[in-house]
Amino acid sequence: MQQNKWGRWGVFAFCAIWFVLTLFPLYWTLVTSFKPVLFVTSGPTYLPWIDFTPTLKPWLDAFSGERGDFVATFLNSVWISVSASLIAVILGSMAAYALVRFEFRVRVLSGVLFALAGIGTYVGLTQVKVGEVYAMATAFPVALAVSVIANRFPLPGPVMKNNDVVFWFISNRMMPPIVSAFALYMLYSKIGKEGMKMIDTYWGLTICYTAFSLPLVVWLMRDFFQSLPVEVEEAALVDDVPRFRIFLEIVVPMARPGLIAVTLITLGFVWNEFLFALILTTGDWQTLPILLSGQNSYRGDEWWAIAVAVMIAMLPMVLITIFLGRMMRSGLMLGSIR
Amino acid sequence: MKDRSKYIFIWPAVLVVLIVTLFPLVYTLNLSFQYVRLIPPLPPRYVGVDNYAKLLDQARFWGVIGNTSTLVFISVGLQYVLGLGIAMALHSKVPGERLFRVTFLLPMLLTPIAVALVWKQIFNSQFGPLNQIFTTFGYPNPPFLTEITWTYSSLITVEIWQWTPFVILMMLAGLQSLPQDIYEAAKLENASNWQIFWTITFPMLLPISVAVIFIRIVEAFKIIDTVFIMTGGGPGIATETLTLFAYQEGLKKFNLGYTSAISFLFLIFIIVFGTLYMALLKPQLEKRN
Repeated sequence: MQQNKWGRWGVFAFCAIWFVLTLFPLYWTLVTSFKPVLFVTSGPTYLPWIDFTPTLKPWLDAFSGERGDFVATFLNSVWISVSASLIAVILGSMAAYALVRFEFRVRVLSGVLFALAGIGTYVGLTQVKVGEVYAMATAFPVALAVSVIANRFPLPGPVMKNNDVVFWFISNRMMPPIVSAFALYMLYSKIGKEGMKMIDTYWGLTICYTAFSLPLVVWLMRDFFQSLPVEVEEAALVDDVPRFRIFLEIVVPMARPGLIAVTLITLGFVWNEFLFALILTTGDWQTLPILLSGQNSYRGDEWWAIAVAVMIAMLPMVLITIFLGRMMRSGLMLGSIR
Repeated sequence: MKDRSKYIFIWPAVLVVLIVTLFPLVYTLNLSFQYVRLIPPLPPRYVGVDNYAKLLDQARFWGVIGNTSTLVFISVGLQYVLGLGIAMALHSKVPGERLFRVTFLLPMLLTPIAVALVWKQIFNSQFGPLNQIFTTFGYPNPPFLTEITWTYSSLITVEIWQWTPFVILMMLAGLQSLPQDIYEAAKLENASNWQIFWTITFPMLLPISVAVIFIRIVEAFKIIDTVFIMTGGGPGIATETLTLFAYQEGLKKFNLGYTSAISFLFLIFIIVFGTLYMALLKPQLEKRN
C-alpha cells in the first residue's frame, strides 16, 4: 500500500499507543506486587526506587500460605490443565485425523432413535425404582447401541457427512457454559450420593475440561491435517502399514507444530476457566482463578497481595504467549487459524 | 478407503463430548419443567411451562438480557473496529511490527479473573492511576464502578482490552490471505488508500469479519468473570449478566427448576441469534462473491 511519511508516522503512533495501553496494566500489577503497604494507600506510584522502595514481602507472604494455599492451588491448576489438555489433544487429533482421511455417514434417523431409546430406557428404569444414576448409566449404552446398529441399515431420511460431524463438535462450543456447569453439578452430586465423589475431585474437573476443549481441538487440528500432503500416507498404506502406526509415525511428527500450538491454546483455556471451577470445586481441588476471586472479596484493598496472586496466575500465560508468538512469526500457525 | 480403524480414531472423542454435553442438555430441559428447591427440600413436581412464564414475566430477567446485550454489542463493535485498524497497521509493516504482534496477542490469553482484578485497581476511584489522570483534568474521584454509565464504560474498556487481540489475530490472518495482484492493479489506477479500503480490502474481508464478529458475540454473551470481580452485578443489579443471574439463582438460592429455565432460554436465545445472524448475512456474502 502506498503511504506518505505522515501516514506511516500516524500508523506507528497508533500502534505505539495500543502497545502502551496493552502493557500498562501489566506493568502496574508487576510494580504493585513489590510495593510496601504505605505506598499503595498514599496514591499511585509507578517507578521502583524513585517513587517507592520495593520490597519482597508480598511475595514471601504469598508463599508462606498466609493468604490461601498458593502452592497447592497452583499445582492443582497445573495438574488439571496439563492433563485435560493432553487428553483433549490426543483424543481430538485422532478424531480430527479420522474426519479428514475417512468418510463418515450418520443417518439423522439413527440420531432420533438414540434419543428415543435413551429416554425410553431411562423412564422405564426409573419407573421400576432403579436409582437415577444407574438408570442413566444403563440408558446411555443402550441408546448408543441402538443407534449404532440402526445406522448400518439403509434408513430413509437425510444423511450427515463429515462436515456435519465437525459442525456438531463446534456447536458444543456455542452452548452457554452455565447450562452444562449447572447440570454437571447436579449430576456429580447425584453420583456422589451413590458413593463416587466427583465434585471437588481431580477427575471431576479433568473430564469436564477435556470435553469442553475437544471441540476446539477437533476444529483446529482438522484444518491442520488438511494441509498435510497425503502421498506419504498412501505409500505407507500400499505397504500395508496399519493405520495407527501411520498416524503415530508419519502424521503426528509432520503435524508437530500444530499439535504444540493447539496444546498450548487448550492449556490456556483450561488454566483461565472460571465458571466450571467455581461450581464444581469446594476446596481441595480449587484452581487459581477461584483462589483469585476469593482474594477479591475478603482482601479488599490489599493490592500488593492481590497483585502477587495475579502475577502468579498470569506468568505461565505470558510465557505461553511469547512461545506462540514465535511460532506464529515463522508462519506455522497461519493455516490453522483460518 | 474402507477401514475399520476409523472408528477407533473417532469414537473416544465423540463419546466424551456426547456424555458431558448431551446429558446436561437433556437434564436441564427436563428440570426446567419442574419445581425443585433444595431449601426447603420439597419433592420435585412438574409444573409445565410455569418457570418459563414466570421468567418472561419478570422485569429482572429482561433487565439482565438488556445489560448483557448492551455490554456485548458495544464492546464487540468497538473491538472489531479497533482490531481491524490494528491488524491493518501491523499488515502494512509498521516499524517494530514483530514486537507489537506478540504483545498485542497477550491480553487474550491472560486469566479473565486476574485481568478483572488488575483493572479493578486501575479503576479504583481513590488510589488508582486513572483517578490521578482524571484529577489533573479537574474531575477527581470518578465513580468508575459505582455509577451506571461509568460502570458500563469501565466494563466495556476491560472487554475491549482483553478481546481486541482476538480480532487482530483473525483479521491479520485474513489480510495475509488476500491476493496481492488486485492491490497492484488498484495502484496503477491511482486509487486512494481510502478507496482501496472500501472497494477492495473491506469487501474481501467480509466473510472472515462475519465469522469473527459471530464468535466474539457468542463468547461475549457468556461473560461472568469480569463482572463477578469488578462489580458483582452492581451497582444494584445494573450490570448483572445472564450467566451471573443464573448462577445467583441456582447456586445461591438453589432454585433449580427456575435456573434451568434461565439457562435454557439463554441457549434458545443464542441459537435464535445465531440462525438469524447467519440467515441475514448469508445473502449479503453470496451477492458479493
